[in-house]
Amino acid sequence: MSTENNASPSPLFLRLFRWFCDPDIAEDLEGDLLERFEIRLEKKGLRKARWLFVKDVAQLFRPGLIRFFKESQKRNSLGMYKNYFKTARRNLLRQKMYSSIKIGGFAMGIAACLLIALYIADELSYDQHYEQKDRFYRLAQSYAFNGIENKQTWLPAPFARAVREDFPQVEAIGRARTLGQREIRVRRTGTLQNSIETGFTYGDSTLIDLFEMDLQLGAPASALRETSSMIISSEKADKYFPGENPVGQQLVLNGDEANPVTITGVFNPARGKSHFEFDFIISMSNVEFFRGEANAWGANNYQVYLRLHPDTDPDALQIEMHNLAVKYLLPFHKRIGNVNAEGFVETVQYELQPVTDIHLYTSDTRDPFQHGNVRFVWLFGAIAGLILLIAVVNFINLSTAKSANRAMEVGLRKAIGSRKYDLIIQFLIESVMFSLLSFALGIILTSLLLPYFNEMADKTLILPLSAWWFVPGLLFASVLIGIMAGMYPAFYLSSFKPIQVLKGSLSLGAKKSGLRGVLVVFQFTTSVALIIATLVVSRQMDFIMNTELGFDKEQVITLSGTNTLGDRVPTLKNELLNLSGVESVTASGYLPVSGTYRNDNLFWKDGRTKQDEGLGCQIWVGDHDYISTLGIVLVEGRDFSREMATDSAAIIINQQMVKDLGIVDPIGKKVTNDPDNQVVWTIVGVIEDFHFESLRGEISGLGLVLGNNTGIMSVKVSTEDVSASLASIKETWSRIAPEQPIAYDFLNDRFARMYDDVSRTGSIFTSFAIFAVFVACLGLFALSVFMVEQRNKEISIRLVLGASMNHILKSLGLNFLKPVFIALFIAIPVAWYVMRDWLSEFQYKIGLSWDIFVIAGMTAVGIAILTVSYQSLKAAVMKPVNGLRSE
Amino acid sequence: MGKHHLGEFEEIVMLTVAILHGQAYGVAIIEEMETRLKRSVSIGSLQTVLKRLEEKGYLESEMGEATKMRGGKRKRYFKVTNMGKEVLRQAKDQRLGLWNAIPDFV
Repeated sequence: MSTENNASPSPLFLRLFRWFCDPDIAEDLEGDLLERFEIRLEKKGLRKARWLFVKDVAQLFRPGLIRFFKESQKRNSLGMYKNYFKTARRNLLRQKMYSSIKIGGFAMGIAACLLIALYIADELSYDQHYEQKDRFYRLAQSYAFNGIENKQTWLPAPFARAVREDFPQVEAIGRARTLGQREIRVRRTGTLQNSIETGFTYGDSTLIDLFEMDLQLGAPASALRETSSMIISSEKADKYFPGENPVGQQLVLNGDEANPVTITGVFNPARGKSHFEFDFIISMSNVEFFRGEANAWGANNYQVYLRLHPDTDPDALQIEMHNLAVKYLLPFHKRIGNVNAEGFVETVQYELQPVTDIHLYTSDTRDPFQHGNVRFVWLFGAIAGLILLIAVVNFINLSTAKSANRAMEVGLRKAIGSRKYDLIIQFLIESVMFSLLSFALGIILTSLLLPYFNEMADKTLILPLSAWWFVPGLLFASVLIGIMAGMYPAFYLSSFKPIQVLKGSLSLGAKKSGLRGVLVVFQFTTSVALIIATLVVSRQMDFIMNTELGFDKEQVITLSGTNTLGDRVPTLKNELLNLSGVESVTASGYLPVSGTYRNDNLFWKDGRTKQDEGLGCQIWVGDHDYISTLGIVLVEGRDFSREMATDSAAIIINQQMVKDLGIVDPIGKKVTNDPDNQVVWTIVGVIEDFHFESLRGEISGLGLVLGNNTGIMSVKVSTEDVSASLASIKETWSRIAPEQPIAYDFLNDRFARMYDDVSRTGSIFTSFAIFAVFVACLGLFALSVFMVEQRNKEISIRLVLGASMNHILKSLGLNFLKPVFIALFIAIPVAWYVMRDWLSEFQYKIGLSWDIFVIAGMTAVGIAILTVSYQSLKAAVMKPVNGLRSE
Repeated sequence: MGKHHLGEFEEIVMLTVAILHGQAYGVAIIEEMETRLKRSVSIGSLQTVLKRLEEKGYLESEMGEATKMRGGKRKRYFKVTNMGKEVLRQAKDQRLGLWNAIPDFV
């Protein structure tokens, strides 16, 4: 062959062979390989020879010839690993109390972390499922009104159209007018039985595209084009039209048989969490909620969502949008005679808020949705981390404290040739074993606690056991945490000098407690801070629930949806009044709890509409019994009277409005909410201010006038037997309105629901604080057991020499209380600072009085004393002979 | 008998080493077996057996001189030890004993 120079076997495989082959035999084997290759090269040609060479190399890859196997066999450390596991298992079983505290505490920390992690993941998942989420925004507007900054998401009806016309950067835009939690009575046409539904919204047809809704039936582009068309979720479709095609069918809303809505589409609701949840979208085409609304720039009722074209800069666009205020808002304010129109419009800003941020990052914006708050996400995350850290600290403290028991083992292992490295590995393996056990226990604990947590946090979380990352992720985490917790003890234990240990001159554990002290201080600092925070949160809740609201929310039953009864309302009212136990009844959709009607108006003193700036006030419509039923206090003038025909033009205003409008001697004076000063109200009474928004806001001016608004009927019952009254109210209702289900509620419950988020936060907080304190106490308990064990002999001698029980208790107790007191000094300022920040969110709030800190401190000290005293007592009453006889 | 039991392949390898008499190194053993027995053997399987036999003390080996052939690598020559010879003889005797015990063959 002429190509002899090139005729070598593939160098890659030769290198591979050299790499894995046992060096003792590598040389002659390589020679054999090459010789065989040369022989084959002559007989069979290059290609075949090369291929057979590869085969030869592959066949050499066997246990007896590979260098790595040889090495590991030499050191035989597999046996050692086995031994490590055995020692760890024996240790775990021998010290049952310490082991269970280590593992139990760890497991609780892990359970806390898992629960919170699920919670956080859920909070972060809102609105993340839109494919074009990076271009999907909603609009908010901010303005300063009488010097008060306001940012909210309600916009005028013509706003979306103006944006579409003026800004070609906007790809799609749509409005929604959500009815929030408003209850709507729904039935199929041709049936009589209504059911009550929430989750309604009016919407433009573009919402289907903007929210990337998955329409199972109906055409996305045209489903909401027609007036009185509606799309519903598949869930509701199954409820009203089981087994039928709902498209083309009709539903009657709130008994309005003349205008049924036609279903034109069914969407799949299960696409991911959203700030905006709905089951029914009613078409808004050609819908005006009052005459001329399509061009009314003064009424803000719409949420506006939009999608920008790719590569549009939202920051530049939102600044540019100010032009809309100049173009449309200014003429409107000039027309209604706002003297400071320019000044007002100057303050109007529009903001594009990414939809993905709405749930967690827009707490400064008023909108009609339920929100999370990124601060709580961080706060809960921090608490979970702290609990885990406390558990890790327990682990470290107990491991080093009990080191005396391991010292002999370490000394012996070193004496027979163990290196420090091997010992570190041994102790790390041990701690990882603990950690794995704890994780298993922690997962069980989590699955047991999850239902309660879900109830508390109002979530539907589940353990993602089947997700591919879950088990490996947890294993990884447990190994990591095991190593973290075991690191310090491993280095500490492995550094013992064998000669000292074996001689017995090393007194371990008891003395070297500097770090341990610091760690105990850390645990108690955390616990005390959490106790303080818990106290503050629960006191604020109490304050909110029991503060003087200016109206009486107890024993008032509300019946909603009474407007659907039409002319039967007076009958119902009279029948209810005839019931025993019913004190008074009023029909009005305006109530001082959220979810009821509101009506923002500008008010002026009579004849001053052109001169003064209007004052933003509420005007509520009620009947003659409104004030008496809700227990609102009249401070001046009189209530509406049935004898006075002129009362149809009478108004009762609150003290705030008197103050804000600057009216002296208000009775008999006149005010107006009509820019043209045509409609004028005469003040007949002044009522005490009452809170009608959440206590986070201030009370604004409010005027009450007579009228026919029958949305909700409120029934004040006498104290004796509420349930009997409720039964007779139900009976009356079903007699008068047999086709309507009754929807009743208690005013105080509705009020409490306004603070659901606060109370939820409070209870999550409380439970995790208890968790943390408990885990910390576990650690302290174990340490006290250990200390008493250590000082067994000393205590016995003291007892023999005549020490009293008191004396022993004192000397043991003080040891433990010192770190707790230090912790108090650190925790109090930290907690004070954090909680002051939290309270600043509330307009009406408690002060951070000193007794909170005293109570928290006493609780912490008390818990610590309780924890330690059992062991101390046991030590103090023991027979000294037991401690002394074995020597 | 159990102590000195030889596997079939082990026996063949030892016999081949004995045949080559001082010239027994990896490739030579393989070639010899291939020509005499028409049996293809990989370097890997041969090496394992050689190593095992050496550990048992039936074979001994020493490195030869480097030559220009085979990439300048030295050869490892194998030799049957006295103990190895004893074991081979025993194996042969056992076989013969068995053959002789057969009453009518063919």
